[in-house]
Amino acid sequence: MLRLTFRNLGANKARFAMTTFAVVLGVGFVVASFVLSDGLRSSFGDLSDEITAGTDLQVRPVSEFGEPVPLDETLVDEIAAIDGIRLAVGFVEGDESAMQPVKSDGTTINSVGPPQLTFSWVDDEGLGAFALIEGSAPDETAEFSMDVDAATSNGFVVGSTYDLITPIGVVEDATLTGTTRFGSANDTLGAVLMHVSLDEAQRLFGVPGTVDEIAIRLDTDTDAAAVVAEISQVIPTYGVEIVDQATLNAEQKADFNQGVDIVGNVLLGFAIVSLFVSIFIIYNTFSIILGQRVREMGLLRALGADTRQIRRTVLGEALAVGLIASLIGLLAGVGIAQGLIALFDALGASLPDSPIIVSLRTIVLALTLGIGVTLVSALAPARAAASVAPMAALRDGATLGHQSSRRRLVVGSTLLSIGIAVGGFGLISPPSSTLNVVLVLGFAAAAVFLGVTLVSPVIAEPVSRGLGWPVAKGMGTAGRLARENASRNPRRTATTGAALMIGLSLVSTVLIVGESVKSRLGELLESSVQADYLIIDDSDAGVTPKLAADLADTGQFAAVTGFRYDEVRLAGFVTDMIAADLSSMGLLLSLDLQSGTLPAADVTDVIVLHTDKAEDMGVGVGDTVTVEFASGDAAFLKVAATYDDDTILDSPIVPVQVFDDAGAAAVDQWVAASLADGVSAAAAQPLIDQIQQRYPQVSIDSAAEFQERFEASIDSALTVVNALLALAIVIALIGIANTLALSVHERTRELGLLRAVGMTRRQVRRMVRWEAALVALFGALLGVAVGLLFGWGVVSALPADFAGSLNVPFLRITLLVAVAAAAGLVAAWLPARRAGRLNVLDAISHT
Amino acid sequence: MPSTTTTGIETDVAARAIGATKFYGSGDTEVRALDGVTAEFERGHFSAIMGPSGSGKSTLMHCLAGLDTLTDGRVFIGDTDLSTLSERNLTLLRRDKIGFVFQAFNLVPTLTALENITLPMDLAGRDPDQEWLDRVIDAVGLADRTSHRPSELSGGQQQRVAVARALASNPEIIFADEPTGNLDSTTGAEILDFMRDAVDNLGQTIVMVTHDPVAASHADRAVFLVDGKIVDEMMEPTAEMVLDEMKLLSRR
Ligand SMILES: Nc1ncnc2c1ncn2[C@@H]1O[C@H](COP(=O)(O)OP(=O)(O)OP(=O)(O)O)[C@@H](O)[C@H]1O
Ligand SMILES: [Mg+2]
Repeated sequence: MLRLTFRNLGANKARFAMTTFAVVLGVGFVVASFVLSDGLRSSFGDLSDEITAGTDLQVRPVSEFGEPVPLDETLVDEIAAIDGIRLAVGFVEGDESAMQPVKSDGTTINSVGPPQLTFSWVDDEGLGAFALIEGSAPDETAEFSMDVDAATSNGFVVGSTYDLITPIGVVEDATLTGTTRFGSANDTLGAVLMHVSLDEAQRLFGVPGTVDEIAIRLDTDTDAAAVVAEISQVIPTYGVEIVDQATLNAEQKADFNQGVDIVGNVLLGFAIVSLFVSIFIIYNTFSIILGQRVREMGLLRALGADTRQIRRTVLGEALAVGLIASLIGLLAGVGIAQGLIALFDALGASLPDSPIIVSLRTIVLALTLGIGVTLVSALAPARAAASVAPMAALRDGATLGHQSSRRRLVVGSTLLSIGIAVGGFGLISPPSSTLNVVLVLGFAAAAVFLGVTLVSPVIAEPVSRGLGWPVAKGMGTAGRLARENASRNPRRTATTGAALMIGLSLVSTVLIVGESVKSRLGELLESSVQADYLIIDDSDAGVTPKLAADLADTGQFAAVTGFRYDEVRLAGFVTDMIAADLSSMGLLLSLDLQSGTLPAADVTDVIVLHTDKAEDMGVGVGDTVTVEFASGDAAFLKVAATYDDDTILDSPIVPVQVFDDAGAAAVDQWVAASLADGVSAAAAQPLIDQIQQRYPQVSIDSAAEFQERFEASIDSALTVVNALLALAIVIALIGIANTLALSVHERTRELGLLRAVGMTRRQVRRMVRWEAALVALFGALLGVAVGLLFGWGVVSALPADFAGSLNVPFLRITLLVAVAAAAGLVAAWLPARRAGRLNVLDAISHT
Repeated sequence: MPSTTTTGIETDVAARAIGATKFYGSGDTEVRALDGVTAEFERGHFSAIMGPSGSGKSTLMHCLAGLDTLTDGRVFIGDTDLSTLSERNLTLLRRDKIGFVFQAFNLVPTLTALENITLPMDLAGRDPDQEWLDRVIDAVGLADRTSHRPSELSGGQQQRVAVARALASNPEIIFADEPTGNLDSTTGAEILDFMRDAVDNLGQTIVMVTHDPVAASHADRAVFLVDGKIVDEMMEPTAEMVLDEMKLLSRR
């Protein structure tokens, strides 16, 4: 029987090739995700070793919650004086993109790309991990250096002067004193790494007299433990810790690996979706090929083969296909990983040179997944083939038996219900870990997909007939036959379409959720925001409080306030807290006050609570609550008011002075402003332009502009996700091409007859292509239907202030469906050409 | 319209082969399926091509019908020299000028009987001549079966649909390759009667390949093929005459 397995494989090479390709792509991406993350993990590990090699100890601030308070600068000298310490250096690091250099053409380096980071310069390669390549280190005010790759690619020249956008405003004509190298190879991941002197860093980032950490190198043959003990004597007992090199290294690695894991897992997720799609294609291929071999099976049975032997022959074929596909997939995966690295590099994220690591785990997983998927998909067809009666050998037109449609319906609807129930459960009360959420929802989605696939043959015939109506009307006989062919084998149409359904349902879910979030934002801005301007920083650095002050100083505004966020402990629980000018709040946001009144600007010992929070804490207006800050300070604040509208702000709000007093967050995350009565937007525009010029790093938007910006950012996120889902769709299209090729083969005689009685090649091609388009359309519509279900589920589960009611982007989804149908048309190009080229005589006498 | 090359002689010939030669393979394995066949098939006649298995009957028919090309020689449908036609024009010629009845698998399973009958005209985007169509359907006795699919028809009914299709477009000539080969003798006789009827009453031209002497007896004329050559010809054949001739030929 083994010989038969190989004969069959040989005879159906072309047909198995497409199946193999589907598995190869899926396995390839799984392998790529592992090879990529293993390689990156290894090279980042080396990088971590290198960065931390020169630092024996580090002293740094800690806090249980919130931002730790920086260290007092004087500590550096005290620590340096300790015996056994060769060098102790204080560092200041700016927030991401806090400092942005302006290129000679007047533009900044793309702010949505890799981060721009600024550090205080340390004149020691071991402690600082940076070495000078050209010029000198920055030393004075308005001097900076930059890593050599960023300088080269952005056209910065040592010795020239550039403007620097900083939190304290634009520093004009700063000199680029030199270029630097990070580690041994300047593996910056595309980040722009800059240095200024320590004094300058303290000035620019508003942290005079403090440092973020102190790096320490010990003398050789020093007892580290003794030194640590000595340091402990010097540093404050609260909010400061000492860590050793091993800890630093481990933290650094974990930090890098987090990023690697995200990339790896995202890739893996999409690879698994693709593999899942392949199941449908493999199932289809085996069903059709075996269907064409029913007589052969019958003959074997008549000659004495038992059902077990037949089943084994078929599963043997599946095993061989799976093995070959997995092996090719393994090789392809290594190639894909290299391609992805090249892609990242082209996008500007210069990844470190990674070794190609194909670990045993990767190989085992690739083989298991590839072979497993193929075997599982071939199981049902193998069973059907094994149950062929010996008599089938004698009958003309015998077909492969299938499990009854009743059973399919029952199993399908059960799976569908389970999927919906599990999905609903997963969405309503999601498990705590992200992994479990993904697993639960992934299981639910898979159950729904399988359920729909099993049930859909019931509707495949009427639906494809309905869809085919215009084709039959408009395309003549070729169109009519296309419609008939698309509906003549509902099970085949259903499974082929189902493969496409998966990709499209995920894409439309993403589109629907995105649209719902967008429209909710529109409602929120409409109902809860009265501010004329919303100001945010494009980076994470936040907005310097000077901006709000500058705006207020113009006198053109009735209300201006920044919003600062920090973590505090309130009544024993760690919670977010907002600091803002409470007196101007009424003109900017609707808080929907439930009790009390907003305090005047000069009252600083108050707090405004959301009603839910007040209820939880059992406090009301006039009660006093205790707030503890990261610095260790505490404040006793009187509840001035409670509010109910939690669309924009949902945390306790305190006057800015409270944060200033406690050393909490000093930067605004965003700023809201309303024009004074009688000042029109047009009249204020020059002023706005002026402020914009002073602080180029922020965006000053009207509510409408803000909405546009937000929608654009959602759209670009959607594009990335959908680009990755395109893989699943491509595999489904391969499936359509494959099914059509098999169908064409199966209908050779029919095609021969059609050609004999006068169907032209063009008409044959058109017939095959439109059949494919109808199958694709069917799959696409199923996908959109499932996408609506998923979208509805996700939107209902999302918090109300994030996505309100279901909002379907009809135009985009219609476009998506049309593109899918057109893609089906294109996918069938090859099978259509084959069908057109059939030799009429051979086809007529084909058996 | 297919381009035409006229022979110069206006005759009442629907199809004609001149020195038709067809080789398969080459060298030792060369098979001469047709070896210089010259024959004419008159309009309004029912002709039978007879001969033992492997004598080249089907090959001759395929070449006459534009389904296959000759190695040497020429074939004409009416005045049209098929060797001058492109693939596309051959297809159009088959669609518009020729009717086909094959031994089996004559119908498109997804189309109803009526749709199968009008298929060539539908492919041409032409409306069938309703009066003619009704007559044809009536003649083959399928009026109450037109909306059935092939799978719902018996073998004999399927062949009748096939004959109706061949007739429906009122072609220059109809080629039938062993149209009764898969049928029992009674059903076969019915089909042959229809074909006879089509020639006598509807003025059709039919060329039928068969090795059944009884089938040949329905024709006006029988042409005998052996090893790719025409060896004999018989007008108004009867079953006995044909049988005797066949015995004779097989002894050669
Ligand atoms: N495609 C082909 N390749 C090679 N040889 C062929 C091919 N088609 C036919 N032949 C050979 O040509 C000869 C004539 O074949 P043809 O099919 O015309 O015979 P026939 O008279 O129709 O026979 P039958 O009564 O069995 O149908 C035979 O010897 C056959 O083996
Ligand atoms: Mg023959």
